[in-house]
Amino acid sequence: MTKLKTVITTLVGATLALSSCKPDEVPVIPNEEEVITTLNYTLTPNTGGTAIVLSFQDLDGDGGNAPIITGGTLESNKTYTGELVLLNEQESPSGNITAEIQEEDEDHQFFFQTNIAGLTVAYNDQDTNGNPIGLQSTVTTTDVGNGTLKVILRHEPNKSGSGVTSGDITNAGGETDIEVTFNVIVQ
Amino acid sequence: MKKEIELKIYILFIIIFIPVFGFSQNCSLTISGNIKDSDTGLPLEFGNVYIKTHSIGTSTDSRGSFQLPNICKGNYHITISHIGCESKQIFVQLTTDTVLNLTMEHSINTLEGVVLSAKYTLKTTQNTNIISKQNIVDNANENLSNMLESINGVSTLKNGSGISKPVVNGLYGNRLTILNNGVSQSGQQWGNDHSPEIDPLVANKIKVIKGTSALEYMGSNLGSVILVEPKKIEREPHLHGSANYFFETNGLGNGLNLQLQQYNPKIAWKINGTLKKSGDKKTATYYLNNTGNQEANFALQLQKSFSENFSTDLYFSTFNTEIGVLRGSHIGNLTDLEEALEREIPFFTEDDFSYKIDAPKQQVHHHLLKIHSNYFIDDTQWLDFTFAGQLNNRKEFDVRRSGRTDIPALSLQQYCYFFEGKHQKIFKNKLKLKTGVQFNITDNTNNPETGLLPLIPDYFSYETGVYLLTSKKLNKSFLEIGLRYDDVKQNVVAISSTIPREIIRYNNNFQNFSASGGWIYSVSDCFSISYNMGYTTRNPAINELYSSGLHQGVSGIEEGSTALQSEKSLKTTIEFNAKIKDKFSFESLIYYQNINDFIYLNPQDEIRLTIRGAFPVFKYEQTNAEIYGIDISGKYQINTSLQTKLDYSFIRANDLSNNLPLINFPTNNIRGSIVYEFSKSITVGEKQLENFTIELNNIYVFKQKNILIQQDFVLPPTGYNLLGIKIATDVQLKKTSLRLTTKVDNAINVAYRDYLNRQRYFANDLGVNVTFGVSLKF
Repeated sequence: MTKLKTVITTLVGATLALSSCKPDEVPVIPNEEEVITTLNYTLTPNTGGTAIVLSFQDLDGDGGNAPIITGGTLESNKTYTGELVLLNEQESPSGNITAEIQEEDEDHQFFFQTNIAGLTVAYNDQDTNGNPIGLQSTVTTTDVGNGTLKVILRHEPNKSGSGVTSGDITNAGGETDIEVTFNVIVQ
Repeated sequence: MKKEIELKIYILFIIIFIPVFGFSQNCSLTISGNIKDSDTGLPLEFGNVYIKTHSIGTSTDSRGSFQLPNICKGNYHITISHIGCESKQIFVQLTTDTVLNLTMEHSINTLEGVVLSAKYTLKTTQNTNIISKQNIVDNANENLSNMLESINGVSTLKNGSGISKPVVNGLYGNRLTILNNGVSQSGQQWGNDHSPEIDPLVANKIKVIKGTSALEYMGSNLGSVILVEPKKIEREPHLHGSANYFFETNGLGNGLNLQLQQYNPKIAWKINGTLKKSGDKKTATYYLNNTGNQEANFALQLQKSFSENFSTDLYFSTFNTEIGVLRGSHIGNLTDLEEALEREIPFFTEDDFSYKIDAPKQQVHHHLLKIHSNYFIDDTQWLDFTFAGQLNNRKEFDVRRSGRTDIPALSLQQYCYFFEGKHQKIFKNKLKLKTGVQFNITDNTNNPETGLLPLIPDYFSYETGVYLLTSKKLNKSFLEIGLRYDDVKQNVVAISSTIPREIIRYNNNFQNFSASGGWIYSVSDCFSISYNMGYTTRNPAINELYSSGLHQGVSGIEEGSTALQSEKSLKTTIEFNAKIKDKFSFESLIYYQNINDFIYLNPQDEIRLTIRGAFPVFKYEQTNAEIYGIDISGKYQINTSLQTKLDYSFIRANDLSNNLPLINFPTNNIRGSIVYEFSKSITVGEKQLENFTIELNNIYVFKQKNILIQQDFVLPPTGYNLLGIKIATDVQLKKTSLRLTTKVDNAINVAYRDYLNRQRYFANDLGVNVTFGVSLKF
């Protein structure tokens, strides 16, 4: 019987001891260094003039406040040099995601889709295997029109898939890391 | 020469007098007794009882009784066997006439809720199904959930072949309690892609109670429970154990399990260890890349009796697994999902087999320590005390950028402490009374190493529960009534979804009430009816209240709601049982469950724009729901060797408020089997093949028709039919016995997709699999 008492006392004691610890510890807020908050697509006219910046900015990430999307107006029959910059503006100074993409260039590729007649986007850079990445591009306009330009970033695409290197996403596979759509006017 | 004669006389003397000496040593002892079915309590006829070393044997009569006369004093290993049962060895130190009251377990899943018999001691009025030790060993290649699927009315919610959780009469996860050795399994049970962290090979018995309320157990069940039970260590002073090995062709899986036990009056011990490894699984035509898994489990059981009425046991188990998730099922957004849905064969499918497990993958560790004491106050009442601690550690890895693939995308640690005190008393009028008090503390923490905002917040939860259960046999009736009350406190610390990140605290308090009543009425010796009704409430779980973020697997943003209230369930079951001797048995369970404020994920009109594209938003909301169905099982013994079995399970689940079907509920299915067991052993050389059985089984799973097109990304897959074959036999060796099994699953290599497998969006289910098993008992 004494043994029984000892066992009960121990068990009850242990339970009480454990229940007395209070959850006053504050959880550590994770350092979200992987988050992409901002995409800036800067289009500089080859003939000189002001650059147009298409931008997507969502500072608090998924959820919370809605992202701010800024479209742009291009001129018809012109060629622009396009440069993509990806940032994590939750960090200070901003995290440079573009550099992360460049480090793993074989595993990343941008795709550009538009419904504006005559607007084309050509790759202007290469990864270590000689396949396109899309951080650098050339945008050419012809006719006047209204529409959208979609920028997609695929992680681990199959770059040897049919048509992938020429910018066709159909056989690329992989996962979408970025998919943003800008309203674009060509006038 | 003289010496030689002397020697001959001496030998002659020995030959003549040995039997006389033997007689004088007392060879007139009798071992008698009877054998009963452990689950029904009914006597087993034609059971064999023999002492192999002495070639003495007999069989049981219609009352299950046997007698072995003229046995000498000494130590014996007695083997008992019965058709359809697992053979058993008992150790006896024979000094006087001995009576053995033995029980045997049927190796085929038994229906416990059989007809009342005078000798049968009922445990509950609720429908109970059992998976026996032999079934567990024969299916050693399967995980707990897949094993349970052999029970009518139990299905599995899967995320590929490696991840699966049991579904009992439509309910799972937060609504189904799984008890591992009497302790409610704690962990991240809310996740549809989180398997219960239990090694079924440690268990000797797995029970499924398809009930209206399981008042005795803590945990948020709405009626049904699954009990995984290791047996008590048998009183056997010698070292005994078993070694089980299996090899399966699909995934080239290997598994080894070793069990050892010994009884000693000082301390009895038992250890159990399992190692499993398997590579990429294969559908009918292509490999499922990155679907390998590996497991390493260990369990220790200790038992000690301090006195005749006080004993303590300790149980420790550790479960460790790494599971690969199909690479092609890891997608970034809704466009990716739509693309995947279009494809016949998933992206990333390769022609090569590999054991390698890359991201996406899960690494889960679960440890349990339980100390239990039992104290008999007198012959009619006893006390039970249990203390248990659990640690669950879950890490999930995704394919990430810049070497972050090695950093988990989800990392959770959960400590759980449980204390229980229980008192049981049997009154003079045979009234049984069980009362208990339980405390449970859960401490759940997100590890910030992920670099991502957690999907569910950190929390502490305190639960206190009290219950009272009473049962009584009255003539042809058996009655059961119970009450339970739980107080649940949740202290939650969440991180805001807006910038700057802030800590938000929530303190909740819920009260849960449960009440149940059951009645079995035995109309005749071969027919009984039982009726059960239970009311239960379940407080919203942490994920339902505070989930926030993107659920990658389903390409949706899930959001909890702090306004949720407790679910209130009222469930009624009616069960009919018929049994005509050992010839025919029939069981039919009809259930209707009404759940008010049923918590479910409701797709919202909102499409949320993120940098990864647009995602549909799902919010936890409440509605009134109903679940009803019927499970019918019939068994017919055509002759002593041939048995047929037929199971049918029908289920419907509806959202009553919105007049819609509920998603992710099981489909109807029909299952049949024919088992031929050779009544005599087959002689191969010098060896005897005993219990040689050949089984042919078939399952047809119907298409899920109770769903609307707009409720899912894709139409439910069509119905499918799977054929299986199983051949098994026992071989008695000198001191050991060997069991050999061969199983073929999906024998005709059918390409199919299952509605409850979330990977059906991406790939086919498993193709043909042949499993070879060897089990050595010593």
